[in-house]
Amino acid sequence: MRRPADYISAEGKQDMIHSITKRDGRIVLYDQQKIAAAILKAMEASGEGNAADAARVANDVQRSLELRFDGDAPDIEAIQDTVEQQLMNHGFSASAKAYILYRANRTRARESSTSLMKTIDEITQVDARKSDMKRDNANIDGNTAMGSMLQIGAAGAKAYNEHYLLRPEHAEAYREGDIHIHDFDFYSLTTTCCQIDIIKLFHGGFSTGHGYLREPQSIQSYAALAAIAIQSNQNDQHGGQSIPNFDYGMAEGIAKSFRKAYRNELTEIIEDFLDKDDCSETVKAVISDAESATGETARLECSQAFDTAVAGGLGKSCGISSADAGHLIKRARKRAEQKTDRDTYQAMEGFVHNLNTMHSRAGAQTPFSSINYGTDVSPEGRMAIRNILMALDAGLGHGETCIFPIHIFKVKEGVNYNPGDPNYDLFRLSCKVSAKRLFPNFVFIDAPFNLQYYQPGRPETEVATMGCRTRVMGNVYDPSRQIAYSRGNLSFTSINLPRIAIESRGNEALFYEKLQGVLELVAQQLLDRFEIQASKHVYNFPFLMGQGVWLDSDKLGPHDSIREVLKHGTLSIGFIGLAETLTALYGHHHGESEEMQEKGLEIIKYMRDFCDEKSQEMTMNFTLLATPAEGLAGRFIRMDQKRYGKIPGVTDREYYTNSFHIPVWYPISAYDKIRLEGPYHALCNAGHISYVELNGDTAKNVEAFEEVVRWMHDAGVGYGSINHPVDRDPVCGYVGVINDVCPRCGRHEGEPISPERMAELKKMYPDIPVFQGIE
Amino acid sequence: MVENNIKAKMGEGIGFERIRRITGYLVGTMDKWNDAKRAEERDRVKHGLDCACGK
Repeated sequence: MRRPADYISAEGKQDMIHSITKRDGRIVLYDQQKIAAAILKAMEASGEGNAADAARVANDVQRSLELRFDGDAPDIEAIQDTVEQQLMNHGFSASAKAYILYRANRTRARESSTSLMKTIDEITQVDARKSDMKRDNANIDGNTAMGSMLQIGAAGAKAYNEHYLLRPEHAEAYREGDIHIHDFDFYSLTTTCCQIDIIKLFHGGFSTGHGYLREPQSIQSYAALAAIAIQSNQNDQHGGQSIPNFDYGMAEGIAKSFRKAYRNELTEIIEDFLDKDDCSETVKAVISDAESATGETARLECSQAFDTAVAGGLGKSCGISSADAGHLIKRARKRAEQKTDRDTYQAMEGFVHNLNTMHSRAGAQTPFSSINYGTDVSPEGRMAIRNILMALDAGLGHGETCIFPIHIFKVKEGVNYNPGDPNYDLFRLSCKVSAKRLFPNFVFIDAPFNLQYYQPGRPETEVATMGCRTRVMGNVYDPSRQIAYSRGNLSFTSINLPRIAIESRGNEALFYEKLQGVLELVAQQLLDRFEIQASKHVYNFPFLMGQGVWLDSDKLGPHDSIREVLKHGTLSIGFIGLAETLTALYGHHHGESEEMQEKGLEIIKYMRDFCDEKSQEMTMNFTLLATPAEGLAGRFIRMDQKRYGKIPGVTDREYYTNSFHIPVWYPISAYDKIRLEGPYHALCNAGHISYVELNGDTAKNVEAFEEVVRWMHDAGVGYGSINHPVDRDPVCGYVGVINDVCPRCGRHEGEPISPERMAELKKMYPDIPVFQGIE
Repeated sequence: MVENNIKAKMGEGIGFERIRRITGYLVGTMDKWNDAKRAEERDRVKHGLDCACGK
């Protein structure tokens, strides 16, 4: 094949251009071949012309430059202008367009490189308290070395992803704020989140990538390894890490601990009874015989057959009468139960402490962790639930409220919801703890859209949540695996719904037309991102895929592609600001009239139907997300204020309202808020959450608190929680509502108390922290 | 510095910690929140428990 250079004529040498001026001012030798090559690229991109045409155009570019500059060195912009002109002159208009687009992209890339440097400058120089950008994610401390490093990396990755990975139309929609691509810094790297089945992970032990851990043998190691599992997976994914079966998982550890405690306590009691020094081998043999005779082991739930077998063994090998043996075994059992309970509490306390202090992602963040529990009715499961709730209630070392993990109590009729249900006492306890500590949140298995997957005795079919709200249940890729375990979200992108409404100027038909266009754009962008994710291999995710955490990844080898197994995950389309959207379109939001509620449901249903159709078409899980909108809350509205000014009820605040929520500032009763938001939960199958704000005194009333949870259950809410003020005075350690004055020590914010008063307080409240504040 | 620490120990210049739910999760102190979410938190109104009758 001939190159354009072969066609370049040698004429006009007397006026020849010898050099050009680069953007940075340097003078370099002129090279016509470079111009011809750039022209040929534009021609190839638009499917017209060939190398000879490119050379002809390049010749004319040179002639034109010679005429204009007469021996002076032209600059880059002048050369590019001339190329555009000559392409048009020669009739290659499509190529001219391609060339212009290429120039614009290069310009943007150059500008972004400057703005990238400015961003890094801000990250390194400005205090996070003064930089909104550095507080984009409240979970990262932008003031620390590792936090800043993470933010610099993210800024660089975002610039690269925008200019090299996104289609121009997606880049524009993202840049202009029509859509928001979440976790954009991780665009080319990984997926969002996963529900880690710890029972499967622990069986046979696992490797963290830095070392192999044997299968745990006590509740303490179960809890420690659960924290390590979350930490390890957090290094493979950018989103929330969750355990869907915390109670069922810990129950296995509790059973192992009890079995050991039963043997140890029985040994000690027998030694005391017989006044002998060492009976451990004898008791071990007796228990082992009882195990093989009955096929059971010592469990928290008293087994008559097993204990009788042990009593028989003690009679034979130690000569203890059956009445005495029965009595001794009863005592041993009781002590073993107490010991296991104590160990479990300590294990749960350690677990919570670990998750609030251990780091991942280069030490910048604690893992974004969740644990789901509440439905295991076995004595071991109940012990796990009770103790994790008590550890949450106690708080951290100085009584601080634990930020992580997110606790989610799974509510189910017949299991824990009604008086008489086996775990009803634990549901009550969860309400009491949540009234003090804001956690647990409540996920409702009885909501019809969750109940359809529920199969009694199969905990993997119980809905669970992770991160802020993510839910994964349905599975069009593999309808036999509609489960919560070992799955998660792959990526999500949110739509600026209020903007579509503003631009439709009250025209409903136009609104839906525009919405359809944006939905299609987002679906394509999610598929593009999936292609990048699907090109990875098991070795890119040593824990998530390498240890079989993700569904079906245990069937793959280290060098296998993860494309097919990823399809168990979800691609989610999110949205923000339904309230502002309705106001822009119709003048009111859905808190104000039933008619607007209907309109609101229509819009969300339209989006859900789009997701369902796309799922069928692609045999992949497209789902609709009620976007959490943390960084996004301000981003869209700032851009829209610039474009459209302050439209009352639409763009006149500093944030768009979270997903389908009734605006936070709108006065409404808790009951009505729940009633109106409930139906949206059924539509947003990628995740949702509703909360109500109670004042501190109401929240302390556990009856009232439980009543609100029951309203949620009955209104078809999938996931909900109750907000109330939780304040703490770090000086005297008081936790509760603090208005202007601390109820315990009587100081105002910033005020000191006298040393005498402090000494008095310490006598009254031994839990007062020893020292805190700035060191 | 030591003197400052003693003052801080008694509460001088020390504020109250206010824990709130930001979206689905909690954040330890409000000064880590971004401006928009702070404004949102400030605007939040309490929801009364009337209408429990299910009007």
